[in-house]
Amino acid sequence: MNTHLSEGEVIMFLIGDVSVEERRHAAECEVCGARVANLAGSIASFRGAVRSWSEQTVEQRWTVIPGADHLGRLLLPASLDVPWYRSLWSGVAEILQPAPPPLDITSRPVLVRTIWGQYRRQKKSWVMSVVLQSAVVLSVFAAAVTPAVQHKIVNAVIPLVAPVDLAPYQQKAGVRGGGGGGDRSTLDASKGRLPKPALKQFTPPMAVVANLNPKLSMDPTIIAPPDLQLQNVNMIQFGDPLGKIGPASNGPGSGGGIGSGKGGGVGVGDGPGFGPGEGGGVSGGVYRAGGGVSAPSLLSKVEPEYSEEARKAKYQGVVLLYIEVDPAGRAQNVRVLHSLGLGLDEKAMEAVKKWKFRPGMKDGRPVTVAATIEVSFRLL
Amino acid sequence: MELAARNTETPDDFDSLVRLHRPRVFRFILASLRDRETAENLTQDCFVKAYQARGQFRGASSIATWFMQIAANLVRDHESSSRLKFWRRSLHPDADVADIGNSIPDRQQSPETWAAIQEQVRAVWAVAAQLPARQRTVFLLRFVEDMDLLEIAEVTGMKEGTVKVHLFRALNSVRARLEAAK
Repeated sequence: MNTHLSEGEVIMFLIGDVSVEERRHAAECEVCGARVANLAGSIASFRGAVRSWSEQTVEQRWTVIPGADHLGRLLLPASLDVPWYRSLWSGVAEILQPAPPPLDITSRPVLVRTIWGQYRRQKKSWVMSVVLQSAVVLSVFAAAVTPAVQHKIVNAVIPLVAPVDLAPYQQKAGVRGGGGGGDRSTLDASKGRLPKPALKQFTPPMAVVANLNPKLSMDPTIIAPPDLQLQNVNMIQFGDPLGKIGPASNGPGSGGGIGSGKGGGVGVGDGPGFGPGEGGGVSGGVYRAGGGVSAPSLLSKVEPEYSEEARKAKYQGVVLLYIEVDPAGRAQNVRVLHSLGLGLDEKAMEAVKKWKFRPGMKDGRPVTVAATIEVSFRLL
Repeated sequence: MELAARNTETPDDFDSLVRLHRPRVFRFILASLRDRETAENLTQDCFVKAYQARGQFRGASSIATWFMQIAANLVRDHESSSRLKFWRRSLHPDADVADIGNSIPDRQQSPETWAAIQEQVRAVWAVAAQLPARQRTVFLLRFVEDMDLLEIAEVTGMKEGTVKVHLFRALNSVRARLEAAK
């Protein structure tokens, strides 16, 4: 390569972006070498000048500032950090009205006592405080000790008045029963299980659920004592345990719930409970005597027969039976609690089913009441 | 070994890092802005920013490149903001227009050579003052700070080819000025 480097190639040589041939040529050719050296030399002296200049200023800057004027070093010079509009305004103002000469200070600082500091205890105010407070306490005691006040305190009578009518404060005894509901369906309520009894009802039971995706899902409940044993059916869906098996329906009632009544319960009554009646709770169930429920009493009685085997064995004793006396006065749901055997249990149950009772009463109405009956077998 | 070398580069021992890199950063800013006071402030700002962002330093580049990157950004921001404050220069006459020609290191030259060198340096200095900001930054980084093209590309955020183009143009103006001076 014999042609000289172009001006552009000289520059590229300095940048460092050259081919091998160009580099060799620059090394060999005197003309090109001189041109490169000329430019490179100027730049090198420029670099040296800049470096020494900056080092001068650096050396000047790295002087140790005495530690006394920390605050002065923390505060920025006023020329810095001034917004442009303010500096423009000050520039204009400076042109219009030159700054006045610095003020000649003629006043002198006066030495004053330091105002911030620790105070010792002020004896006078301390004594005053003690005297005043003890005077107040003493006067209260002295007033209480005087005979007039004593007399007043001793003779003071605090009447204890029993309220005349306690009924509003007493808890309603027993379960009143009753509940019902429905969504005005044309079908009768379908059979299903009862929800849990609870003291509060957040959502009524529904056989046909209208809102499949509730924001806040709650277990449906009926209002009844939570420990109540319900006569329930073993089904998955909710419904009226006394209803018919059929397509799911909430029944012809109203107000949520299931059945033909009103309110959020299940059954024919009104309210959030279950069964006939109103106001919550469970009705149609079995009561026990006591607590507002009168015990059933016997009206007519049929003597049980002896079974053949028992008579031959000369067997005697007592059969204990559990019965439920329905409002009609008949024994229902007879079960053996204590058995004798030899056919005597069956004979006792037969006889008791023929007995006639005066039903147990609650609130003036006959209700089903549970009772236990001893049927004794004796050979004369 | 590699790991140990990297650890000394992490910004943990910031004080010694500042001592090491401050002259370079200061020199670059001073050569870019030609105002000693502003250069000192910006150098300070540069290390304050670096200290605040030292957690973000990923170690992808060398720490010197990182400092230079911050410095280049500061210079650019300062120029764009000072362009708005055109009146300030007229109100505060620049007392710090240093004659660069006086700071040429004395190497026992003859007075003629010294005068010639002074002439060249002043010419380059004048050209550098007139260069567009990018060309000047690239020129200073390459020929005063002796960085390679890749490093300059990283500092300025340009591609290597772009850096080369700016450098070429800057050098071309320097060359033209020098030849005109002759």
